[in-house]
Amino acid sequence: MTLSRRQWLSLLAAGGCSSVGVSPLLFAAEQKGAHVLAPKRTHHSPRARQLVMIFLTGGYSHVDTFDPKPALKAKHGEPFPAVGLRPEEARKQPLLGSPFEFEQCGESGLWISELFPHLKTVADDLFVIRSMHTDIVEHFQATLAMHTGSATIPLPSVGAWLSYGLGTYNPNLPSYVVLAEHLPYAGSQVWDSNFLPPIHQGVRILPGNDPIADVKSPALSMTLAELEAEMLREVNRWHAQTRPGDENLLARSASFESARGLMEIAPDIFDVTNESSFIRSGYGIADGDTTSIAWQCLMARRLIEQGVRTIEIIDSGSSNNWDAHGNMDDHRPMAKRADQPIAMLIRDLKQRGLLDDVLIAVCTEFGRTPWTDSPTGKGRNHYAKAFTCLLAGAGIEGGRTYGATDEFGSSIIENPCHVHDYHATILNLLGIDHTRLTYHFAGRNYRLTDVYGNVIPL
Amino acid sequence: MANSHFPLFVTAVAVAICPCALQAEEKSELASQAWTILHERCYSCHGPKVQEADFRLDSRKAATHSAVIPGNSQASELIHRLKSNDPEQVMPPQGERLSEDEISLIGRWIDAGAPWPESTAHVSSEDHWAWKRRQDVKPPDTVNLSLLSSPVDSFVQHTLENVKRSLSGEADRRILYRRLSFDLVGLPPTHAEMESYLSDHSEDAFERAVDRLLASPAYGERWGRHWMDLVRYSDTAGDNADYPIPEVQRYRDYIIDSFNKDKPYDTFVIEQLAGDIVASNQPDEHFAERVVATGFVALSRRYATAPFELMHLTIEDTIDTTGRTFLGLTLRCARCHDHKFDPITMDDYYGLYGIFASTRYPYAGSEEFQSKNLPRTGFVPILPPDQANLSLEAYRQKIAGLDEDVARRQKEIEACKDEQQKKRMETELAPVRTALNRQRRLGSPPELDVAYAVWDDKPIDHPILQHGEPSEPGVVARRRAPKFLAGDEPLAISGPHSGRLELAEWIASPTNPLTARVMVNRIWQHHFGQGFVRTSSNFGILGQPPTHPDLLDWLSNEFVEQGWSVKALHRLIVGSATWRQTSDPTGLDDPLLGRYPRRRLDAESIRDSILLVAQNLDQRIPERHPFPDISDWHWTQHNPFKTVFPSQYRSVYLMRQRIQRHPFLVLFDAPDANVSTDVRTNSIVPQQALFLMNSSFMQEQSTAFATRLMQFSAEEPDRIAHGIESTWFRPATPDEIMRGLDYLRRFRREAVRSGLSEPEAERAAYSSFARVLLTSNEFFYLD
Repeated sequence: MTLSRRQWLSLLAAGGCSSVGVSPLLFAAEQKGAHVLAPKRTHHSPRARQLVMIFLTGGYSHVDTFDPKPALKAKHGEPFPAVGLRPEEARKQPLLGSPFEFEQCGESGLWISELFPHLKTVADDLFVIRSMHTDIVEHFQATLAMHTGSATIPLPSVGAWLSYGLGTYNPNLPSYVVLAEHLPYAGSQVWDSNFLPPIHQGVRILPGNDPIADVKSPALSMTLAELEAEMLREVNRWHAQTRPGDENLLARSASFESARGLMEIAPDIFDVTNESSFIRSGYGIADGDTTSIAWQCLMARRLIEQGVRTIEIIDSGSSNNWDAHGNMDDHRPMAKRADQPIAMLIRDLKQRGLLDDVLIAVCTEFGRTPWTDSPTGKGRNHYAKAFTCLLAGAGIEGGRTYGATDEFGSSIIENPCHVHDYHATILNLLGIDHTRLTYHFAGRNYRLTDVYGNVIPL
Repeated sequence: MANSHFPLFVTAVAVAICPCALQAEEKSELASQAWTILHERCYSCHGPKVQEADFRLDSRKAATHSAVIPGNSQASELIHRLKSNDPEQVMPPQGERLSEDEISLIGRWIDAGAPWPESTAHVSSEDHWAWKRRQDVKPPDTVNLSLLSSPVDSFVQHTLENVKRSLSGEADRRILYRRLSFDLVGLPPTHAEMESYLSDHSEDAFERAVDRLLASPAYGERWGRHWMDLVRYSDTAGDNADYPIPEVQRYRDYIIDSFNKDKPYDTFVIEQLAGDIVASNQPDEHFAERVVATGFVALSRRYATAPFELMHLTIEDTIDTTGRTFLGLTLRCARCHDHKFDPITMDDYYGLYGIFASTRYPYAGSEEFQSKNLPRTGFVPILPPDQANLSLEAYRQKIAGLDEDVARRQKEIEACKDEQQKKRMETELAPVRTALNRQRRLGSPPELDVAYAVWDDKPIDHPILQHGEPSEPGVVARRRAPKFLAGDEPLAISGPHSGRLELAEWIASPTNPLTARVMVNRIWQHHFGQGFVRTSSNFGILGQPPTHPDLLDWLSNEFVEQGWSVKALHRLIVGSATWRQTSDPTGLDDPLLGRYPRRRLDAESIRDSILLVAQNLDQRIPERHPFPDISDWHWTQHNPFKTVFPSQYRSVYLMRQRIQRHPFLVLFDAPDANVSTDVRTNSIVPQQALFLMNSSFMQEQSTAFATRLMQFSAEEPDRIAHGIESTWFRPATPDEIMRGLDYLRRFRREAVRSGLSEPEAERAAYSSFARVLLTSNEFFYLD
């Protein structure tokens, strides 16, 4: 049995706690506002309550996906004063026309390339930001920046900030779940809580049979596990008797109850076989598949229903990703993996009436050069000066674009949107003023957007 | 829009990590909001005109005298009164209560250090207590003398008497000995140690126990680890591929040795900043350790894929870590602008920058080690140059010879017309080329021991970088220590040196107002969970003022007078009645130190204790980490180095990385090795419980502990009693033994029902009982 977010909310409101695996203790604590992850008040009325961030690793090319540039095709092969990965690599490079056809889709006429036949069908739900830019054009630094706002020193991730600022709806699940089969660039730093309390740290779910570390009891039977649990409760009670009022001791005892709640509900949540074959095939999940991005997208929907605040999907790791230096055709298999599941996630949430309350952010670390990576190459190098990210859900009117690049996709000519602006916008949609969500650490206040960030109009 | 708006490459790395401006604005905003509430709701009874109960809130001094503990709202009586449900206690006593928002604002204001509107606006940074010379203080008189056992206590008791309180009595001997053991060596006492302490009834039993623990090698492992938090110790470099540094563990061992030898702290400081210069000025038997000590500088964070890419950020890390660790100063802010609060200028920052820009850092590898076949560079031989040079020269010649050989053969191959012959020659050349690469990549002769350390480079004064940007050099800053502390004169740098030695000597000087205080505060922090100054790496204006300024100065004076001996300081502290008090039942933080604070064990102590109780802890010093052979390294940002080496050595010896954290250690709040950490967090999260209940580590250790119990005695009650004594360090009560017997019986019966044989069920029952003991609060918390 799973509960929709609305059901969760109504449960919370009613003070009930009869549902699957909800520990009475934590629930009671949450009612009093004592649990650190209990939902918190927003700064303003939110447009969305939960976030699904879909990070496509390696830097997908803006000019081959959502930012069509006919001029590139027209001037294909002509040298262009290119600026590459490092200053010393600046040299004239031939422009590279996109090998993919673009088409206007939906009622809105949004341009989408042939890489995404399924996303074309939800074009009217997509808000396309064509004027993204970032600071450092290395995977590692840019990935860190897209997640934490900092390209150099590790800082708390966007999901950790949301957990800290907003709490979560389901006390038995982590507030920030990361679905990642492979480690991305910069590794676990991208979902780390850093100086924020570790309870806000992203918990990586490894698609597969053991999604959460140590969530399976080695006990022979439930009875034995319960016996042991009761014994631990008892010895902690003895200890607490002479130390009344020590909240740390109580909290630590409670954390075992919370862990047991997680152990109880986890198997159910991660088992997608109880979804209808219509849904599973809609996402493109083959029988027995527990690792693909299709599985991840379906899991994201299930976790949304469970009340998890932030779910992040990372589609690929630090190799075999969108980093198409050699040939843009290498985008095809990457797009094929991601296209259908993402489109289905949008559709599935919509049909359940959840899309208005969930923000979906599809992003990458940087774009790719409008010119080739080498004089005779068919691929593109990294590019920080312009790239494209998407937003969907949260009641945002789709089928629109924001910002624009020049005829080659090499410079932004309208409404630039820095990574800090993207973050400010995400926080804003979730009801947070990014300038006011701060944490005092090492002598000063920190925030996700440093001293920058402007919310883009939606 | 013009291209120039989009900084291409590194530029906006000035994305400063330092919005002091924001800080200032927010803080004064918070201050004025809080003041408004206090003014409207409290001043009619506790203000300038009326002072009910002799209590006023209308100045920072008055407010922080008792009701407000800056930085700690939880412990501040003001918050308790505002929140209280007790009609006798709640404030305001009549009329509307403060709203939740108002109370939370007051809480945030206290946590932010309780800044006062005027004082924030007009703070005179020259007058800040921490820059002033230490006071020559004497222990104050107290009313109650019976409780005191050291001058330390006079200070604490005096403060307590001011609020009509007093030190608590001495804790039980078992509790005390367990506390002492964790404090000094990070391990629980063994059964035998505890017994021998308890049976020693002589006057000086405690002092001798202290001496025994301080003399144990485990002491350095414990206190060395505290230091490793500060110097962001890591076994990898932190570049995008996180290259390992096999040699850096010499620096780890140097730290541990230094604590064990009770190396005078001033020497310890000088060696870490400038040991290489001291060593080459007078090469003697300490040459190796002095060179190794500069691992402190060498370990500065590396970035990206090329050698020394973003070097200005690597030096920023050196400066920041130096400032925080030794001086309690946040120097980083001044990279892009003058410090907004402390009188640290950009000129000061780049005065220090020049010193480190005149220093050669080692290169441990990064992506371009792989992609461009670059060698490691800058590792420093641990032999004096006259002895190392021979070997270095031979190595250079060998490489040159191999180079020549390869080039010659390559030419021959190119000239060769016969395809078959060509192929054969190529096959022959391949191993030579591989041998060359192996030799070259090492960066130093394999037979020569080297350290990840620094060495003086060509001395330069560095220009100030406007906005912290390497692309915007301004006027040159002379190399020197911060002006507001060191005065106008630049460092008198002798000879063609970087100035690190002179900087180090200035820091380690007995008259430096910060150095001794900062270290004393750290040592106090690790004995009591918190320092007098809560922000132990920030003694600046934004840091928190000390709870016991006189005691801090008195201890700092003692520290310097006793030859900067850390062990002498431990003796002073643990010998005090203050340290030997009972802990408070409620576990509440008590800044006045009227009771001992209960503490959770830290990550290393948790792991080491579990292993020790299970008799699986290997207390030897391990060999080198089993990194692959350097010539086989191939890591890139696409395939970074990431691994965990399992071991049963003490946790201080676990291999730690910068890009990924050790899975066990991160679970229990061990620090991020990218930045200097002064105070660890102390989290309680369900993932810890999952690990403790279900992990294979816990299965193994509880099984081993069960075996120990079953071997201890044939009698079930004795086994239970022994289990409790081994984990809780007190005798079991008869009730507990009864309950244990009952538990084992029920567990066995149920296990047999689940299909186990009698002996299997017996073992399972004891393992379960062992796990309960090892995961209990009583095992995890120190009274």
